[in-house]
Amino acid sequence: MTRLLHAELLKLATTRLLLWLGLLIVGFEVLVISLQVGHDSLESLAQPSSQRDTVSIAAVSALVALILGIVASAGEFTHGTISHTLLVAPVRMRVAGAKLAASALAGASLALASAAFAWVFAALLLKARSVPVHVFSGEALRLVLGMVVASALTGALGVGFGLLLRRQTAAIVVALLWLLVGEPLIAIAGVQRYAPGHAIASVVEAGHQGPDLLGFGKGLLVALVYVVVAAVLGAIALRQSDVA
Amino acid sequence: MAETPPVEVRGLTKRYGSTTAVDDLTFSIPAGRITGFLGPNGAGKSTTLRALLGLIHPTAGEARVEGALYTQLQDPLGTVGAVLESDSFHPGRSGRNHLRILAAAAGLSTARVDEVLATVELTGAARRRVGGYSLGMRQRLSVAGALLGQPQLLILDEPANGLDPEGIRWLRDFLRSFAADGGTVLISSHVLPEVAQIVDEVVIIHRGRLVAQEPLEALTTRSAGGTVVRSPAAERLREALVRAGIDAVSVGSDELRVAAAAERVGEVAAAEGIVLHELRTEGASLEEVFLGLTGGGQA
Repeated sequence: MTRLLHAELLKLATTRLLLWLGLLIVGFEVLVISLQVGHDSLESLAQPSSQRDTVSIAAVSALVALILGIVASAGEFTHGTISHTLLVAPVRMRVAGAKLAASALAGASLALASAAFAWVFAALLLKARSVPVHVFSGEALRLVLGMVVASALTGALGVGFGLLLRRQTAAIVVALLWLLVGEPLIAIAGVQRYAPGHAIASVVEAGHQGPDLLGFGKGLLVALVYVVVAAVLGAIALRQSDVA
Repeated sequence: MAETPPVEVRGLTKRYGSTTAVDDLTFSIPAGRITGFLGPNGAGKSTTLRALLGLIHPTAGEARVEGALYTQLQDPLGTVGAVLESDSFHPGRSGRNHLRILAAAAGLSTARVDEVLATVELTGAARRRVGGYSLGMRQRLSVAGALLGQPQLLILDEPANGLDPEGIRWLRDFLRSFAADGGTVLISSHVLPEVAQIVDEVVIIHRGRLVAQEPLEALTTRSAGGTVVRSPAAERLREALVRAGIDAVSVGSDELRVAAAAERVGEVAAAEGIVLHELRTEGASLEEVFLGLTGGGQA
């Protein structure tokens, strides 16, 4: 299993996927943090809660980790490399397990890198505007923990979903449509708190939940259920599929 | 106790909906030989090979490698090396990194990666992205992957497809060298003249069923079943053969085509005191045999 995990991590590290996803995160953070710190009043910026909201943009890593997980699984079918993978490791459940672990690790790493950049960049901009920096307070740092856990979960969720659909582009489009259209729609019925995106958001917030989110513990539990269900269904789909 | 054949297919059937790709196919291949696996397009060759490699699930029957199902192999890469038809790679990954991933999963060293890259003469392009490789280079990379674990059995699905003459020559030389070192090869191909030059045995399937399996020489000889003889007394020899109950046809002033083994023709000629200038068994080309057996289906 350790060998397979090593191989899966090598797969992620030997294409430009991580580089592009990393640049996407950095670009997004630069844009959002610059706009916020540049336009908010000094009084507002000085508030610890405001600074926490500013750096919370780093949670975009959870969405990026979801895409990473989908590419790590469905991408193998898109590029046809799944044959090579299964020739070296014919026990497919092990392959699925290694992919889940590798993408969870990669998701957590992305979240750490994303947070590190957002925190440092925000601190530099705040200092440049002569605002006292509170982003390194315990409360703000708890957000990092939430992001790391959430991104690990979405990385694994992406793998399960990707194995289930086995079409990279379709899986990414369906996932984005669900998050951007599906969940807002089910909010009409008032059950969005139990939807996957909202459950993950509950984990990110790590105790600073708004009224439309579950608490951290409940959110983590619901998110874990989604991950486990997707992982099991994806692994079964992989085990039963013919690789032509 | 009989030795386990490197590849054994027993009653293999694979259906996709109402389409039967492989139909109760049974054959095995001998160790230390190159066996050609032939059939028209759609005959079920790739399906059979993928079932052998655990990539597709048979509807019925089984396909074993070294006596075990592929999924049961403790060291798959060290047992069998496979080159699949239209092998796919991530275009953004270098050839060396592709092999490093396989090596990592199999617990092999990076040094072994560099060795196989040298074997397939890809060292110079090893760090280039596969998206920029020619078809021939991709095939070599596939072969490198198959050799990583130093297996004694190679399974190759249409490896000559799309290769230029230089690539085909390289592949032929490589397979001969592999077999000369005691390796076993199962190679499917529709490039019949190319296969005829390298295989020792032939397994032919058509519409998912076995049509023939035997040594190449025996197959071509049996299928033609004739002897060509040249003699300055060809007409006298023909009359003697007919008297002996053997069909013989003149095909020139001094040449006969005889429906009997060369030994029998020689005996009749000796008994009549007839001088022979040439006596040879005429074998059909593999392509002729193949077309005959499969009813002229496209190779």
